[in-house]
Amino acid sequence: MTAPADNKPLLDVRGLTIEIDTRRGPAIIIDGIDLTVGKGETVGVVGESGCGKSLTMLSLVRLLPNKIKVKGGSAEFAGRDLLKMSKSELRQVRGGKIGFVFQDPMTSLNPVMRIGDQLCEPLIYHSGLNKADARIRAIELLRLVGIPGPEQRIEAYPHELSGGMRQRVMIAIGLACDPELLIADEPTTALDVTIQAQIVDLVKDLRKKLNMSVVWITHDLALIAGLVDRVAVLYAGTVVEDAPVGELFARPTHPYTRGLLASIPKLSDERASRLSSIGGTPPEPGRRPKGCPFAPRCALAEGVCHERVPVLEPVAGSGGHRVACFVAQRQMKEAA
Amino acid sequence: MTITPVNLSSTVADDEPPVSLWRDAWHRLLRNKLAVAGLAVVVLLAFVAVFGPWLTPYDFLTQDLNARNQAPSLAHLFGTDDLGRDVFSRVVYGTRTAFVVAIVVTTIAVVIGVTLGAMAGFFGGLFDRTVMWFTDMTMSVPNLLLVVVINASLKAPITAWMEARYQATLNPFYRETIWVDFLLVFGSMALISWPPYARLVRAQVLSIRGRPYVTAARALGLTNRLILMRYIVPNAIGPLIVSVSAGLGTAMVLESAFSFLGVGVNPPTPSWGNMISDGLRVWQHYPHLLAAPAAVLGLATVAFSFLGDGLNDALNPRGSK
Amino acid sequence: MLRYIATRLLLWIPSVLLVMLAVYAMAYYGAGDPIKLIFLRAPGDVAYNPEKIEAIRDAAGLNRPFLVQFGSYILNLLQGNFGNSLTSGRSVWAMVSAAAPVSFKLGLCAVVLTAIVAVPLGMIAAMNQNTKIDYTILGSALFLWAIPAYVAGPLLMVALIFVLPGGKVPYGWGGIFDLRILLPLLVLSFQPIALIVRQTRAAVIEVLSEDFVRTARAKGVPEMVVAFRHILRPVLTPVVTQLGLIMITIVNGAIFVELVFGLPGLGRLTVSALTNSDYPVILAITLIGSFLVMLSNLLVDVLYPLLDPRANDTMRSR
Repeated sequence: MTAPADNKPLLDVRGLTIEIDTRRGPAIIIDGIDLTVGKGETVGVVGESGCGKSLTMLSLVRLLPNKIKVKGGSAEFAGRDLLKMSKSELRQVRGGKIGFVFQDPMTSLNPVMRIGDQLCEPLIYHSGLNKADARIRAIELLRLVGIPGPEQRIEAYPHELSGGMRQRVMIAIGLACDPELLIADEPTTALDVTIQAQIVDLVKDLRKKLNMSVVWITHDLALIAGLVDRVAVLYAGTVVEDAPVGELFARPTHPYTRGLLASIPKLSDERASRLSSIGGTPPEPGRRPKGCPFAPRCALAEGVCHERVPVLEPVAGSGGHRVACFVAQRQMKEAA
Repeated sequence: MTITPVNLSSTVADDEPPVSLWRDAWHRLLRNKLAVAGLAVVVLLAFVAVFGPWLTPYDFLTQDLNARNQAPSLAHLFGTDDLGRDVFSRVVYGTRTAFVVAIVVTTIAVVIGVTLGAMAGFFGGLFDRTVMWFTDMTMSVPNLLLVVVINASLKAPITAWMEARYQATLNPFYRETIWVDFLLVFGSMALISWPPYARLVRAQVLSIRGRPYVTAARALGLTNRLILMRYIVPNAIGPLIVSVSAGLGTAMVLESAFSFLGVGVNPPTPSWGNMISDGLRVWQHYPHLLAAPAAVLGLATVAFSFLGDGLNDALNPRGSK
Repeated sequence: MLRYIATRLLLWIPSVLLVMLAVYAMAYYGAGDPIKLIFLRAPGDVAYNPEKIEAIRDAAGLNRPFLVQFGSYILNLLQGNFGNSLTSGRSVWAMVSAAAPVSFKLGLCAVVLTAIVAVPLGMIAAMNQNTKIDYTILGSALFLWAIPAYVAGPLLMVALIFVLPGGKVPYGWGGIFDLRILLPLLVLSFQPIALIVRQTRAAVIEVLSEDFVRTARAKGVPEMVVAFRHILRPVLTPVVTQLGLIMITIVNGAIFVELVFGLPGLGRLTVSALTNSDYPVILAITLIGSFLVMLSNLLVDVLYPLLDPRANDTMRSR
């Protein structure tokens, strides 16, 4: 999908650092994240809850809660740094070139507004449509995301729709202005399992139709295996592994990624009746360990892991697979 | 290969030093400038209320008909009224009235409210329902109506009894109408003031009663009274302090309101409320008679309000903002 | 909908009857004898004559049994007869209908002023949470809330003496388009404004943390539209439900404001009736007050589904 002449990624995040104000002073919660998304590419951002997946994406369009601030780094989107844009420029990007789908459609939709009005808002403020045209386009969008009887549903309030339908409305809002990038923040977490698959399929289908890039944030690796091109694994505010999806499942390299994969139940593996889990919990903000943030929970940790922070380095013999782990990097060198 | 103790110890070291709840609250209060200002004014007024008679050059009742309706001057800081009484002395004595009423009324209300509320929460059942019915009734009837009715229905019999005692004993004490006033004000105001305390304490008791550690204490054979003293009272004391500080201010406002309307403390006993009411009759000619008590009363209510708000923030850190 | 309103009105009748019975009982058993009070206050040359009092009591029907008196009072009421004042002898209806417009006009203006001033201030405070702007608005609200009307009124009047030429401070009543309404209106609105500022601020802060506000911003909706369409709309619901509380604050405040500024309204009538134990007047005012409270609660219930579509379903099923 990427034109050969244009190798620049659509979104290029470098060294993004985010701080939170706590009672004990500022604490780093996102520590120098690098992340790229190519044109037409779908990237999965995976990690435990609280690892900073959502904050990273929200910080791009400056939708962070009051106490959380971006401290450093850059985020180039289509050649311009989002973090340096003026408020009015940023408003053009929000909902225009970057569409959002949030986690819980019940709370993310305004309960006292008809869904049609909520869907028309981006159309009116970005595409410059008048009310009548916006309404026609809104009905089209509702049909596109698979809502039956859109002419009637457009008058409904969110509470009158089912959870799956609500999330389809959210997706329609995200897609309203033909965005170049759709950021989906755990869009299936609040839904039933059967509905989850439907939503994944819907996005899979739409991104081809509309030729857009997608960032899909989730804690469920298995769910997005068939959807994404590439996966970035986040742990405690840093990217610990970044690889094409097939490569990641075939050769998980970071101990944390391996732990994540091992905790996915497999039907084929009948004898392994117990699921493995990773012991311990991620560090709290302000209590980050000195070295590798995963070291305290890592069964393979060595002396150096507690002293220095590893950086992402390419994994030998594979295209675009990078990992931030001293042990893995050493083992690779030894193997070579 | 294993988890090093370094990280564990750093986790512990990062923990805040154990500061007592009270010291923490006190520090939070001191950081709130409005609350500190309120506290200062309240302390000053309390000082004036206690030592008032030694601070003023005149008696609040002494009339000087040669110096009537004088404007404020060095001799009379707030001027004099239509009977030549020193307004400053009367305002100072009014402070005393306000504090006595506020403290006595709040004390009675707290004692009644806490006792009934704790018992209602602890025993439940019919007793609980009865107490709650009473609180609902009292809180739903307009204050003014209730106080007027209590005053009207009790004043006559009490005055009659006092007169009878005077006839029998000739003791001049029984002709001091001040006592009747105070008795009625205390009684009627306490009667309308206790329900909020009862509700607060009952809610606290109910929420604490069900906690596992109280059940455990009961299983260990602790008596009801011991459980009440050891577990429930300490937990309820924070909200109660907030409530009492607000209650003192409210009682002060109520007293002045009723005195202003002529159903509280009556002249010649000075109360800020009845002084304002008197001042209103002649305010166009002698504005100082109106301004002095109104300003001091305003200062007092605002001070109590700021202090109460600060205490609320300091003692219920989760509940605020 | 109409049926719902009718049901509410029907349910109100027994409750107001109960309240009036209570007031009547207090009058009958508790208070001092109103006739005696009149005589005690009369100038010295009118002799205190028990037989004469007894005769007047008989004529006024005050010597009949309690329930008979109450029953005949209610029967008269149903025919639109509120009885006569015990102190002035005038028709209670005439007294009330002369006083009520003054209070209603003043109160209505206060509600409007409160809405116009307090909701925007509360919103500004919340949007600037924990900044100097927020603290100033919150502190002022706390200040206004703490100052009783009989303190604020007199102090403003006294202050104006020194400002206005010739010390002519407006005093009295001349309708809502008369300059003299300004001071009482301001003083009467202080406490409701303080109340609504704090309510609005709390509600806005709650809505600000809602996901749908983030969604609106993520859609690139201009901040002004976010503020008015996405934040203010949901905030109005909890604020409107406080209407009953505002009414009580205004009714209470009106008593003092009318006394301070010499307005011939219901508040002043209430105080004089209470202090004179003029029970026919007190009963009539109780009836009006209870009706007002019921009406404001009903208004809130009727407005609620218009503001919050989620309430519609429960409304229909009622």
